Amino acid sequence: MNTLLKLKKVNLKYQTGKKNISVLKDINLITKKKESISIVGESGSGKTSLIMLIGGLERATSGKIFFQNQEITKLSEDSISEIRKKNIGIIFQSFYLIPNYTAVENVALTLELNKFKNPEKEAKMLLERFGLKHRFNNLPGQLSGGEQQRVAIARAIAMKPELILADEPTGNLDTENSIMISEILFKYIKEEGSSLIMVTHDQKLANKAKRKIKIKDGKIK
Amino acid sequence: MVKLNNSSDLKLVFKYALKDFSRNYKKILSIIVTLYISLFILSAIFTIEDSLKKELNDNAKSLLGGDLEIDYNRNQGNLDLINQVKEFATVSQMIEFSTMISTTNREKNKSLFTRIKTVDEKYPLYGKVVYEPKGAYERIQKEPNTILINESLTKTLNININEVIKVQDQLFTVVGIIKTVPDVSGFVAFGDWALAGKQTLEILKLNGIGSFLNYEYKVKFNHNDNAEILEKKIKNIFKNDQKVKLRYPENSASGLKRIISNFSQFLSLVSISAMLIAGIGIANTLLSFINHNNMSIAVRKAVGFYSGNIKLLYYMQLFILLFIITIFAYCSSFLIVPIADKYLSDGLGLNINPIFSFLNFLKIFLVGFLVLLIFSIPTINAIDQVKASNLFRNVFQNLQFYYSKKSITISIFLLSILILLFTLGSENPVYSLGYFGAFFVCLIVFFLLSKLIIFSLKKIKSFSNISLNVSIKNITQTKSITPITIMSLGLGVTLLLTLALVGTNFKREIAKSIPDIAPDYFFVGIQKGEREKFEQSILSMDPNASIEIVPMVSSGIVKINGINPNTYITPDNDSYWVIGSERRSSWAKKVPEDNPIIKGKWWDLSKNNQLQISLDAKVAKDLNINIGDIFTLNIYGREIEGEIINFREVDYRDLSINFAMLFNPQFAINIPHEYLATTKFDNLDKFNEIQMLKILPSLSMIKIADYLNKVTSVLNKVFIAVTLISTVTIVIGLIVISSAIMVQGKVKEFQNLVFKILGFSKKKVVFSSLIEFIIIFISVILIAIFFAVIGSKFIMENIFELVWKFDVIVLIYLGLSIGLVTLLLILLTNLKYLNPKIYPLIRNQ
Ligand SMILES: Nc1ncnc2c1ncn2[C@@H]1O[C@H](COP(=O)(O)OP(=O)(O)O)[C@@H](O)[C@H]1O
Ligand SMILES: [Mg+2]
Repeated sequence: MNTLLKLKKVNLKYQTGKKNISVLKDINLITKKKESISIVGESGSGKTSLIMLIGGLERATSGKIFFQNQEITKLSEDSISEIRKKNIGIIFQSFYLIPNYTAVENVALTLELNKFKNPEKEAKMLLERFGLKHRFNNLPGQLSGGEQQRVAIARAIAMKPELILADEPTGNLDTENSIMISEILFKYIKEEGSSLIMVTHDQKLANKAKRKIKIKDGKIK
Repeated sequence: MVKLNNSSDLKLVFKYALKDFSRNYKKILSIIVTLYISLFILSAIFTIEDSLKKELNDNAKSLLGGDLEIDYNRNQGNLDLINQVKEFATVSQMIEFSTMISTTNREKNKSLFTRIKTVDEKYPLYGKVVYEPKGAYERIQKEPNTILINESLTKTLNININEVIKVQDQLFTVVGIIKTVPDVSGFVAFGDWALAGKQTLEILKLNGIGSFLNYEYKVKFNHNDNAEILEKKIKNIFKNDQKVKLRYPENSASGLKRIISNFSQFLSLVSISAMLIAGIGIANTLLSFINHNNMSIAVRKAVGFYSGNIKLLYYMQLFILLFIITIFAYCSSFLIVPIADKYLSDGLGLNINPIFSFLNFLKIFLVGFLVLLIFSIPTINAIDQVKASNLFRNVFQNLQFYYSKKSITISIFLLSILILLFTLGSENPVYSLGYFGAFFVCLIVFFLLSKLIIFSLKKIKSFSNISLNVSIKNITQTKSITPITIMSLGLGVTLLLTLALVGTNFKREIAKSIPDIAPDYFFVGIQKGEREKFEQSILSMDPNASIEIVPMVSSGIVKINGINPNTYITPDNDSYWVIGSERRSSWAKKVPEDNPIIKGKWWDLSKNNQLQISLDAKVAKDLNINIGDIFTLNIYGREIEGEIINFREVDYRDLSINFAMLFNPQFAINIPHEYLATTKFDNLDKFNEIQMLKILPSLSMIKIADYLNKVTSVLNKVFIAVTLISTVTIVIGLIVISSAIMVQGKVKEFQNLVFKILGFSKKKVVFSSLIEFIIIFISVILIAIFFAVIGSKFIMENIFELVWKFDVIVLIYLGLSIGLVTLLLILLTNLKYLNPKIYPLIRNQ
């Protein structure tokens, strides 16, 4: 009952020219609700690919993926969008805020999409929690990297998703900012009871997670 | 295509569309400008056409001069019947005729063949006569030998108020100048005319044919009477009178309405061309805009937007844009109306006011909507290629136009609607369709040309000249703007050159007929007994003048095979003029040289006591007449039956003596007649109009050169308007090109930076864009000239049926100036990228 994610014999292959590259091989994985997991592994081992599969942003070549007991590998693009919209928040290494939207608008976007009553107000409350009160109406270009990532986190968690996916969230940040971001993330999942799957190279950050998964050559070790 | 879950999704998308639009519009400025210009032109055409037609309809009664017109043409008519009408309605009599007016008391007096309208006190029944000074109009009714002349006449003969002029051999005082009269439709619209009191007619010697007499009675019903009942009543009164023609307000100015429709059809086609050229630019700019927003689209997908909704977001932005532009374009088109009004009121005395028509607004919006949709479908469909997973990989591939079977089908379907919209309901659907056909053929050819150039330049590997190499690289690179440049420039230049060639051919055709074929003068109204006197007078002034003189009678076609033709032939028939009113006819022993017989035989001499008729072949075809058909003609009150015995090919444009109907001389010689003459003088200066008038006061003289000058000046005005409007296509083409260069700007800037680092001088960069331009422009202009030659030849020979000739000067002149402007534009737009700042570029790459 407590299962959030279930991956059964999941394979991912990429076709480059005539060659088939096997990126993920027979992945089996079960995660529970409220669990925090860190994924570590060498560059090119398939960490990002795994996150993309879980987030429904890439289709598995074979195997089954269940999210909350629903088999998402069978669903249409739009239905996956629907699940992602409600349940999954994603944080990227390079932040990716919409450049001509202010901080508040970037966060409000997901809230609005999930039909929140007062998206701007909620967005402001969140940003305030993350110490960005004085940056509400700044465009991403006017924010520092750390600030941008805080806005991106706010965007990902605004609709209180069941699962947060993060791909090297601190990879583009200095130590000070990295610490701040990790504190915010872990504090948040503790308070809201969300689950977190995070790819990171940062050992300290990886150790903060309850469970650590190591990937090598497309296989879970 | 677009999946919508519910209305709240739609609302959300709309909200974001508004927000994004308000922040993005600067990036799509070229879309805004081109869309605005083309919609503005279209709006202006629609608005002016509608305003004109509304003016004509609103003033139908004024234009006709009453609720009904009783036209007796050359005869005074049956006054008993007119008096019957007077019992229940107001009747105003009006007689128009043409005669000679000359100046007096000058060193060199001048004379002019002028239309004079005599009116009674009741005139005008509707509308107003505008004149100056005050009281002048009353004077022409009360004082004999007074006259009002129009503004054009004051200029032509340089006459002032209170000056004395001669009408035939009578002296008249000019008491004022008329600005406008309400009933222009039955009257000469352009040209010289005068207004006089009804007593004038008795003073002058007016003979039948030469003065082109026309008796009309305008009827105004009493305010409370039912117009329909009275119309029937009047119809009834005149039902047995064959000579009368009744006209109603709805037929007033029908010829003018047709000209307006034709002209506006043509202009709409030009403006839709401009719009389609703009479409090419729109597709290009939009693609770069979406590429620019690549990341935002991916982010939206990542947070759970459906691809369909994101596409909808872009469509909505476009339509918000279109809506705003349409409003602006439509409203600003009203500003053009006063200019058109000035143009028109000078010539026609019509005053137009802008009228708002929701239907027109919708039509313009729909046209814009279709064009936008057609050109944005392959662009916006490219959004499907954006993957949210790109956000993990940090790569954003450049999007390409995306054509699926479905989107191509939709585009073709929408294009068909667009074409139908401009074809159906136009005056000449076949021409519209032909135009679209030609347009798309050109588009495809220019597209293929661009591919051909790229293909063949790719084959050529390397030159020693580095500038040349760079320019070839520019033309052939993957994201080169060569196809866009060639298509938009090619279409614009083709259109402009075609119209220019048509225009110059047209002018030449008119001008050339003056010295060669045409006589110098037409003389009308030579009475039976005046023939010798006329010939002697001419020869005494210029012994070498060549005179052609033919007899002439006036006759009306009462019946064709026993049936009144007016019951089945409508005014929109090309040959309606033959039955519409009395025509002048002649007779000849031999077949006229330039009128070959194409069917039937010349006169049947065994039937000399019967009327035989030779008919213009085109008229026969239009009116569906066969050899052996019987015309019942009314000649001076007698009804005579005649048999159609042959068809002649008549070319009225040669300005020699031409008649739709010729009679067999053996029969016609007994009909009372007068003469028509043309004269070509050996030396035109020897001919003295004033002296001629002294000898034959009722003679009417029409100087061909004057007449042609008038036609040419009207044509010139039309031609200028047409050229101006077609220049818009070039302007739009140039905007498209410059926006394409801007879109390419980042690449160019980087390229120039690399050149700079490599030590490639600025001069060489400029030189390479010059070579690039020359390669493209020469191929474009050659193809455009080819199309323009074919197009203009077709238009001249098949639509206007005139001679076509190649005009190198115009092509060189126009080609060079377009080339120069394009080159300047390209250099100026490129200049921006000539001085790249190294630091930001390196950091970003
Ligand atoms: N679209 C693709 N086509 C081919 N190979 C790919 C593609 N995307 C990723 N790969 C390959 O898949 C492997 C795993 O990539 P990724 O999941 O990004 O690794 P990680 O995030 O662990 O560094 C890499 O070797 C990468 O080169
Ligand atoms: Mg990775």
